[in-house]
Amino acid sequence: MDVRLLRIDSRLLHGQVTTNWAKAVKVNRILIVSDRVAEDLTRKTLIIQAAPPGIRTNVITVEKMIRLYRDPRFDILKPMILVEDPVDAKRVVEGGIKVESINIGAISFDTTRIMVTDAIAVNAADVEAFKWLHDRGIKLDVRKVSSDSSKNLWKSLSEKGLV
Amino acid sequence: MTRREKVLAYLENHALSIPQGVTTSEISEAIGVLRPNVSKELNQLVREGRIAKTKGRPVRYYVNHAAEAGESKLQQKPNIGFAGYARIRDQRIKEDTANRNETDVFKHMIGSRGSLKNQVEQAKAALLYPPHGLNTLIIGATGSGKTYFASKMYRFALDKKIISKKGFTTFNCADYAHNPQLLMSHLFGYVKGAFTGASTDKDGLIQEADGGMLFLDEVHRLPPEGQEMIFYFMDHGTYSRLGETAKVHHADVRLVFATTEDPKSSLLQTFVRRIPIIIQLPDFNQRSAHEKLQLLEQLLTLEANRIHKNIRLGEDVVQALLGSVTYGNIGQLKSNIQLICAQGFLNSMHNKNEISLQFSQLPPNIKDGLSNLANNRQELGNLSRLLEPTMVIKPDAERGLPDIDSYELPYNLYEIIVDKAALLKEEGLDQSAISNFIMTDINLHLKSFYRQGKIEKTDGGLSEIVDQDIIDLTKRIQQMLQERENYPVRDNFIYAMSLHISSFIKRIQSGKPLRTMSTDLISMVHDYPTELKIAERVKNLIQDHYHFPIPESEVYYIAILLVSLKSEPKAGKVGIVVAAHGNSTASSMVQVVSQLLSVDNIAAYDMPLEMSPKIALDGIASQVKNIDQGNGVLLLVDMGSLSTFSNKLTEKTNIHVRTIDMVTTAMVLEAARKTALIDSDLETVYRELREFDGYSRTVEKVQKKKEYVRKISDQREKAIIAICSTGEGTARRIKDLLDKILVDNLIDDITVITVSVVSMSEQIARIQQNYQIVAATGIVRPQIAAPFVSLENLLQGGGERFVSLIEEINNHAAREAEDLEHSELLTKETSQNYLEQYFTFINPVKIAGVLWDYCDFIQQRSKYKMSNGFKVNLIMHLAGALERYLTRSEMSVDEQRLSGVRNETLYPIIKQANEILNKTLNIKLSDAEVFYIIELFNTEKEKMIHKNN
Repeated sequence: MDVRLLRIDSRLLHGQVTTNWAKAVKVNRILIVSDRVAEDLTRKTLIIQAAPPGIRTNVITVEKMIRLYRDPRFDILKPMILVEDPVDAKRVVEGGIKVESINIGAISFDTTRIMVTDAIAVNAADVEAFKWLHDRGIKLDVRKVSSDSSKNLWKSLSEKGLV
Repeated sequence: MTRREKVLAYLENHALSIPQGVTTSEISEAIGVLRPNVSKELNQLVREGRIAKTKGRPVRYYVNHAAEAGESKLQQKPNIGFAGYARIRDQRIKEDTANRNETDVFKHMIGSRGSLKNQVEQAKAALLYPPHGLNTLIIGATGSGKTYFASKMYRFALDKKIISKKGFTTFNCADYAHNPQLLMSHLFGYVKGAFTGASTDKDGLIQEADGGMLFLDEVHRLPPEGQEMIFYFMDHGTYSRLGETAKVHHADVRLVFATTEDPKSSLLQTFVRRIPIIIQLPDFNQRSAHEKLQLLEQLLTLEANRIHKNIRLGEDVVQALLGSVTYGNIGQLKSNIQLICAQGFLNSMHNKNEISLQFSQLPPNIKDGLSNLANNRQELGNLSRLLEPTMVIKPDAERGLPDIDSYELPYNLYEIIVDKAALLKEEGLDQSAISNFIMTDINLHLKSFYRQGKIEKTDGGLSEIVDQDIIDLTKRIQQMLQERENYPVRDNFIYAMSLHISSFIKRIQSGKPLRTMSTDLISMVHDYPTELKIAERVKNLIQDHYHFPIPESEVYYIAILLVSLKSEPKAGKVGIVVAAHGNSTASSMVQVVSQLLSVDNIAAYDMPLEMSPKIALDGIASQVKNIDQGNGVLLLVDMGSLSTFSNKLTEKTNIHVRTIDMVTTAMVLEAARKTALIDSDLETVYRELREFDGYSRTVEKVQKKKEYVRKISDQREKAIIAICSTGEGTARRIKDLLDKILVDNLIDDITVITVSVVSMSEQIARIQQNYQIVAATGIVRPQIAAPFVSLENLLQGGGERFVSLIEEINNHAAREAEDLEHSELLTKETSQNYLEQYFTFINPVKIAGVLWDYCDFIQQRSKYKMSNGFKVNLIMHLAGALERYLTRSEMSVDEQRLSGVRNETLYPIIKQANEILNKTLNIKLSDAEVFYIIELFNTEKEKMIHKNN
């Protein structure tokens, strides 16, 4: 399986991803990987609703993602994988999915988190996961849309003194 | 002052200041009346001739002083209910020219001055070309009116005295496509002794058509040698009958051919070169809105003539009818009109003067037409300008009787309805029961009638995996078996046999080792000497065709295949068993229903109160076995305790059983109606019935849970088995196909296993030790308690059936998601909840309402109906835009793409909508954000188009 993009975005699949990324990275499948959403019919509906035309979109659990990746029958897939947060991204990479960089779109602010860029908020667990990914040489690429100039999240985290 | 007077007064007051006329919107704003109402009044005034309108867009209206005197005569008897002035002028021109030049039949053909203008010119040129005219090929999709066009060409030729003899001979080459010799003998005739059975000389159609016109439909089905003979005839005017050597016969025939295919690929080039005139008929959807309406009106008039009543229908029905036309063009429109007229006729039998077609009563596939149409904004806009709220079609003898075409039913449907209704009334049935019964009947009539024309379509799915050459060979084999061996074969023969041949031919050609003949195989075949004998013949045919030896072992496998195809009972209707407590409760319900619907797929089981459950189970099981036609059985029970029987019955009988409780006579009736069609399947009927009138679902829920538990506790992996005679050829192809479907649906927990018919039950037993078989497909239905999908269904539906089956096995989430998207459950509050979850700086409570209104504004202005799901997503996107504005991190888009978006029709609407944000929140979104909003809409629209294709 040729994973074309692994992206972290709290909102998973939405307008920007549909209109911009799906076209830019030439995928034949969009895989929403989230245990929570797989169980949440409303969110699932809204996400499928936002899917671009002509590209099939599935919502699956992290475990299934890893299973499919290891199963050679699914080698023909060239997916874009969307996860909600860095912790899930780490689980996916831990499960064997190979990527050189991870795109980070937006992580919503909540009471456990602090803002590190205009769209990205992190908590301790997130920082931990980012550290793990960074240590494996994976680039943490911050871009909302594909044409934005890439910023390195690691730099922002360092500047904030979080890592 | 009435609304109309207001409109008229405004027009009169502005007649001088604005001589070019005013638009509907201008009037609407000026006099404060809603646009649709103004439009309605304007159309009425136009029809009365008191005002006139301009052609072109936007339409402007002006007081028509000149017209008042001159045209009022015409307008007194408006025959139709739409299209106003333009239409009436059409009529006038038609009448004028009809007087001057009565012999031009094309003048009355719809579109002869529009989308068919060139075609008509071509046809005339072809016919009038000296000395004998030119041969013509008409190309057009199914139902686009090729036969109709050809018959008009004939009328024209006759009126112009171009042809001497009255005679329009038509011949459909597809009728005999499987037997070239028979086809040729029909066309050219034969002499005594030309072939077995040719006991006298006989003239062919060419001779019959001498001096007249011969129309050869589906000419691509004419074999190459036939095409050669035809073009020799075109060149020389002479031909020979079958069995003659010299081409001594002469005939003067105008030839018109028709085909649905691209002539470049389906006809001999030498043949096409000899046809100088090629007329391409447009698809229905390429026709203008005006012509579509005229066609609709004409077809409705035919029906009105038949029933001698007016037909009244609302604009929603008109739109639905036009939108329901997909692949089948005018032919499809015609059959849809016949269907709903039959329905309307039935519902308005008490009314002597009029039948009324109500949108609410349309069948779902026609209702869908409205949403099909709604997705094409432009088309809908063009149509609505021509439409009025209601349209009345009156019988009009002058508009002609139906032409003979393949879309005419061979009997008078309306007479059948009247007779049936009278009969049922005598039986004392109430109106709704009569309607139900007759509609089932009508549907069956129409369905079986139109199915005849669909044979080509069914080959389509097959030809994607098997070479056409093999399909043709298989058809010849089928013919041989039927005609010479008197050996019965069924539809699925083509599928199973051609797949089989294809796989072993490939095997032989690739030099793979021969299949071995096991003792199992030999002993099995020896029980079937007839099949072995026939298999030998089949082998010879294949051998002759490919000119290489076919190994003897294949004869055995072909024999097995024949046995399998024979032994499988024809997939029948879903059976129904009604079981209820009481001495005769169940049997009396069943009796009522079988009398009403004369169905044979229903049985009853009465359970006196003292009967033990054990005996009841056995009794029901035997009824289930009796009634099963191979498609599963629906068990309708009266009380919950019985509904737990499903699984036990399935175990006991190996028949797929589904249970619904709280049975009533109405439900049995509904079940019988739904299962009346042979191709309905248990799961669909079950699902539909469960929703029928909101009957209790509680039992199924409980049962679902149990099934779930059962599945969880079943540690075996899931498998689908694919069965063919060898377990290697066809079954492997099916496995590949299914694997693709499984991958496509990300299903990794189902394995497809191939099985040979030889020692099938042992293999299945072995598989069942490790796997739980959830479904089966192939050339025979195995005796297992799992749904079976026949080979035809699998190949024709492109695996659709399997996907739904698999969804059924896994869960219903996908279906539910689809429903939820349009659900009312997605509200302002839903979006508020999500706003709260994902955004930092905006206040969801305050902002959700503003954004919801924003969506409504766009929806209203653009007339684009958003699903609630889309709305919530759009609101999330907008909230993102607001937050980007607030955090000064707005998105950027390059100038080129920005300027592209400014030409979009949506652009000004979004700009206006953004004014709302500016006014209420003092936030001005940049053009880059507008770009993304429009992109969102475009993606959504694109998706709707995708979905509808």
